[in-house]
Amino acid sequence: MTRHVTIEPVAEQACDSEPARGMDVQRVLVLATCALALLLLPFISSEYVLTLAVEVMIAGVFASGLNVLIGYTGLASAGHAMFFGLGGYGIGIGTAIYGWPLWASVPVTLVCVAAISAVVGAICTRTRGVEFLLITLAFCQMFYGAAVKLRLTNGTDGMAGIPRPDLSWLGLSADGSIVFYGYVALVAVAALLLVARIVHSPFGSVLIAIRENERRAMAMGYAVGAYKIGAFTLSGVVCALAGILQAQYTYFINPDSMSWQSSGEGILMVIIGGADAVMGPFIGAAVFVLVKQGLSLITGEYNLFFGIFFMLVVAFFRGGVVGAFRTLIGKWR
Amino acid sequence: MSALEVRNLRKAFGGLEVIANLNLSVPAGQRRAVIGPNGAGKTTLFNLITGWQPPTSGEILLHGVPLRSGRPDLVTRGGLSRSFQKNMLLDSVTVLENLRVACQAADRSRHSFLRSPASFPDVRRKARRAAEKMHLDNCLDRTVNELSYGQKRQLEVAVALCAEPKILLMDEPAAGTSPAERTNLIRLINELPADLTIVLVEHDMDVVFAICDVVTVLSYGKVLATGSKDEIQGNPEVIEAYLGKQHA
Repeated sequence: MTRHVTIEPVAEQACDSEPARGMDVQRVLVLATCALALLLLPFISSEYVLTLAVEVMIAGVFASGLNVLIGYTGLASAGHAMFFGLGGYGIGIGTAIYGWPLWASVPVTLVCVAAISAVVGAICTRTRGVEFLLITLAFCQMFYGAAVKLRLTNGTDGMAGIPRPDLSWLGLSADGSIVFYGYVALVAVAALLLVARIVHSPFGSVLIAIRENERRAMAMGYAVGAYKIGAFTLSGVVCALAGILQAQYTYFINPDSMSWQSSGEGILMVIIGGADAVMGPFIGAAVFVLVKQGLSLITGEYNLFFGIFFMLVVAFFRGGVVGAFRTLIGKWR
Repeated sequence: MSALEVRNLRKAFGGLEVIANLNLSVPAGQRRAVIGPNGAGKTTLFNLITGWQPPTSGEILLHGVPLRSGRPDLVTRGGLSRSFQKNMLLDSVTVLENLRVACQAADRSRHSFLRSPASFPDVRRKARRAAEKMHLDNCLDRTVNELSYGQKRQLEVAVALCAEPKILLMDEPAAGTSPAERTNLIRLINELPADLTIVLVEHDMDVVFAICDVVTVLSYGKVLATGSKDEIQGNPEVIEAYLGKQHA
């Protein structure tokens, strides 16, 4: 059968080149500045600042993973802490219980989380809106409940002794704050680049189409269900990676990492930073960690003041910090 | 063989029968209008044909091949594309991106997740060609929100064309447009390749008669009449049920 409306490829036109060269230069400059700051930080800051930086980066990876769903696919999950926790428990079980080396535990954990998130995603993505929010929350609570009851992982007491990477072959010890900072920075940058690559790929453009108008995406010829499961799985794996880093950071994992509060914090980071940009959740994580830390130094009721801060961000910074920055740049131009 | 054939199609919502044993055969290359009063079952018929709703019974064949209901994506990839009565566009992205994503659906690059869309220039070129067909090439970098209503309707059709369909279903393409936008849209639709089969649902009889060769009139989910413009305009049952005296 012949196709009747064939949109023939035409000769290359001048306007076929990517339109946003200026934006690319801007992006490269921003990324170069961030990279420089990451490199210089250990040399110009105290151990306390490095600790905060590690927390920011781990939270940033978690929020970036969550943003694949919230920002790019338009699916607000209230349960992604389950994957954060599963990542931590995965290497905890692999290393501390079975005695596997880290290089084996990490990939096995990520593959297992990918499989679990694909199954959970296949169920959850059959719903949308508030139903999706609630069903992801329900799954999270289910895993939380399992972690509380599981004797293998010491229930509510959690598991200690989760190792950091062995870098003795480089003459380094990851127990030192600078080395561990470098390790987390490397993993975080790699995770961020992976997420950026995927959301800016043809696959990513389908996710955006689903976010914008799911029915249209379907009418275009996309099997949207498969794409949503793919996004859910990717999101779960990146969150699990953050969970692995967190477990290594504290040498410990317990069910609190899977609590609904942890999921909620991830959503806050995405909203504060801005869901419409790859860097948004990372910036949101930085703001979240630093503001919360700063407030806790001033008052014991920091949650109250953080709530007020969050309301101000939502009310006055549409699109979060990144959105406000873009608006500012637009006005300046 | 008909491009589109509907056999004994029936759709009931509970006790309400919206489509009742409907038969329809549209030869390849024909411009067919489906008209009828509100509630006649026109949009439901489109939803059944394009897989958005499952029929209660009956069969729909595209070039002799039965269509699978419940999978609009497969229907589109099978060569039958549609535009919607209400704009169904990707509002916050550009016209070019709307068209590029639509063209990408028919390309193997749709599965790629580690390369940039810029690595697939053919898809981008096809999107530009689709824009040219519907005279949208001067606003490629504008977001949908910045388009006029008439341009949005043009984009609706352009997006549907990106699937390179054998059959194009258009659900009230001129709905809500100004007279000037309507005239422009009619001209653009008439400029589409003559071998493209078009099935059009439209209330505006001027649009129907300006585009279509054959008209099918639905009433209460059944075919009341099928024929040329003159036959339909002269059919007393159609005049009574739908057209009224001004189009007779």
